[in-house]
Amino acid sequence: MKIGIMSAAHVHADAYIGCLRSIPEVDIVGIADHDNERGALFAQQYGLHYFASYEALLGQKLDGVIITSENAFHIELAKKAAQTGVHILCEKPLATNVRDAKEIVDAAKKAGVILMTAFPMRFSVPVRTVKEELVSGKLGALLCFNASNQGQLPPRDRAWFTDPVLAGGGAIADHVVHLADIMRWYVGTEVVEVYAAANRIFHADEVQVETGGMVSMQFENGIFATIDCSWSRPDSWPSWGGLSFDLITDKGAVRVDAFRQNLTIYPAPKASASSANAKTAPADTTGVASGAGADHDWTTAHSHGDRGFGPRWLYWGSDANQAMIEEFISAIQEGRQPAVTGEDGLAAVRIIEAAYKSIQEGKAIMV
Amino acid sequence: MKIGIIGTGFMGSTHAAAWKKTGTKIAGFLADPPSEAEQIAREYGAHVFSSLEELIESVDVVDICSPTHLHSDMAIAAARAGRHIVCEKPLARTVEQGEAMLDACRIAGVRLFVAHVVRYFPEYALAAARVHAGDIGKVGTAQYRRLSYRPKKPVGNWFLDEEKSGGILLDLMIHDFDIARWIAGDVVSVYAKKVSSFRKESPADYGMVILTHASGALSHVAGAWAYPPPVFKTGFEVCGDAGVIQHDSDSESPIEALLKQEKSEAPDVGLPASPLAESPYDLEIADFYRCLIEGGEPRVSAADGLAALKIACAAIESAKTGQVIALDSRREEARQAELELTGEPATSKGGQR
Repeated sequence: MKIGIMSAAHVHADAYIGCLRSIPEVDIVGIADHDNERGALFAQQYGLHYFASYEALLGQKLDGVIITSENAFHIELAKKAAQTGVHILCEKPLATNVRDAKEIVDAAKKAGVILMTAFPMRFSVPVRTVKEELVSGKLGALLCFNASNQGQLPPRDRAWFTDPVLAGGGAIADHVVHLADIMRWYVGTEVVEVYAAANRIFHADEVQVETGGMVSMQFENGIFATIDCSWSRPDSWPSWGGLSFDLITDKGAVRVDAFRQNLTIYPAPKASASSANAKTAPADTTGVASGAGADHDWTTAHSHGDRGFGPRWLYWGSDANQAMIEEFISAIQEGRQPAVTGEDGLAAVRIIEAAYKSIQEGKAIMV
Repeated sequence: MKIGIIGTGFMGSTHAAAWKKTGTKIAGFLADPPSEAEQIAREYGAHVFSSLEELIESVDVVDICSPTHLHSDMAIAAARAGRHIVCEKPLARTVEQGEAMLDACRIAGVRLFVAHVVRYFPEYALAAARVHAGDIGKVGTAQYRRLSYRPKKPVGNWFLDEEKSGGILLDLMIHDFDIARWIAGDVVSVYAKKVSSFRKESPADYGMVILTHASGALSHVAGAWAYPPPVFKTGFEVCGDAGVIQHDSDSESPIEALLKQEKSEAPDVGLPASPLAESPYDLEIADFYRCLIEGGEPRVSAADGLAALKIACAAIESAKTGQVIALDSRREEARQAELELTGEPATSKGGQR
């Protein structure tokens, strides 16, 4: 199974290499990047072959690619891959607007290739467990969600995350989609109405995009949800952030904290100096310690911010990224649709686009 | 100074205990029917009043712990008789009623204290103090939650009658609307969703409200009557551009007793409880008492109570209509200025009795 990596822009490229390497039948053919310097450095760091162009990479008779470019370039890379008949796992959000996302979905459909959106939380064991319990009826009938996906400012060495054009926005574009996707999966209907409010108070001097955001959405069947998607975690936070929700049903409530499976370590100041150095060492490539695959799972490899010491959370739960990558590989092997599709990615982009429209117009928007 | 307490439910009896600690005299109680007050009146060696008029005649301070929809008529009657007023939260059932209460007190020159007790809970007071001291910089976002079960009073459960109590958005969530405003300042817009707006027959209430503050900060307030008894969880998180303050009643509870029980008994109304040397209710009444005796301002003013009421009523309207509701604090300033000039409330509807 020959897999290529398209661009090293996204922090998840690091984690995915580790995931791919732990699947025996996968051969990582190499990586290409429109930013040659970045791509070559990444290739060197991970011992990968570097291709000077996407065309050269796609010329290697690949089975699949993982697109981890800047969000705005997903469309260009996905179309190239689809036209070559290569299956695609595309980082989230699928695109920076609904038009592009549709075009990606259509291109994959036309070419008959698999298009999977990288929503690792669908593979989070706590999140899956609750889905199963909901389906079984054990938890009662859903009424609403109160959800948060808060994080630190994306790493400063990946500045495109806070570029409104390349990322498609700020905290809302970055952090709404995971929960929106989980909720669509749980609820089984689409979002029909979105209200959002945003501000730029955290890191106001550093970035031009919104860093604080709250989104309310309502599904066709009346179920509703709010999402706090803010980059509100200071550099001193014990991890990149987290994803959690209270799920309210007619039987009570269930709290799901997807990243609660942590040890807490309290390093002494002296010890922290060396562990701070360790953080800048080459990324963990085992995929074990690299987090469970929500957004900024650079817990060990890419810890950012100037943390001298203080408590840190060491995640010991199951690796959702690994399960997601395995699903992509299995879907290719078995010639079937993956558990998360391009349509799921498109639906999430619709919600983001409606959220930005709501902020602009100051009212709830029908999707 | 003689106190008359209206209502002998949980709040009435809690206020009575707090007044007693101040050393002031509880003249008596009024309940509906009056006989309901007999037991507590005996306990305090106090009178059982047979009517509001009798109570007002006999006391210096009227402490209103009746159902919300009755607050304004009682308060206005007390004010017109020149009595000071302590009023349980929410100030009133509607903004118009609340404004009329403030106006009546101002015209009569009497004090009006609104019992937003959460301001006297040390965890909230400490957080507000640290935020105001600049410990976490400028507030960007905040989340507040108050999660419990539906009040299950045996008779006449006015909590569940939204006409009387305003439902969860007013009765429960006004606590955190007040705290959100205390911490991040005036609120300019309100968007709310509530389970029972979508499912009238819903077995639970759950409200979620997004507040936009004049400063640009965003607050998310969640309130639940959806949990099984005896759950009462509170928590908050205030995120600033220079740090975060969090509170969680579960993880900060100093005692966790997990005992085998034949059957679990939950109180009629869920209440927060962390062991403290001084109860927040006692601190609250003591603060009001100090203001009555010495003058000065309490930790939470009548204007704060009105502002919280406006947020809650906007949330009710938003949940009902699906619209974003704008709040204009300048309207209240203009109203007060008009009152200063003319001695007449600009928006008084009159006939509030």
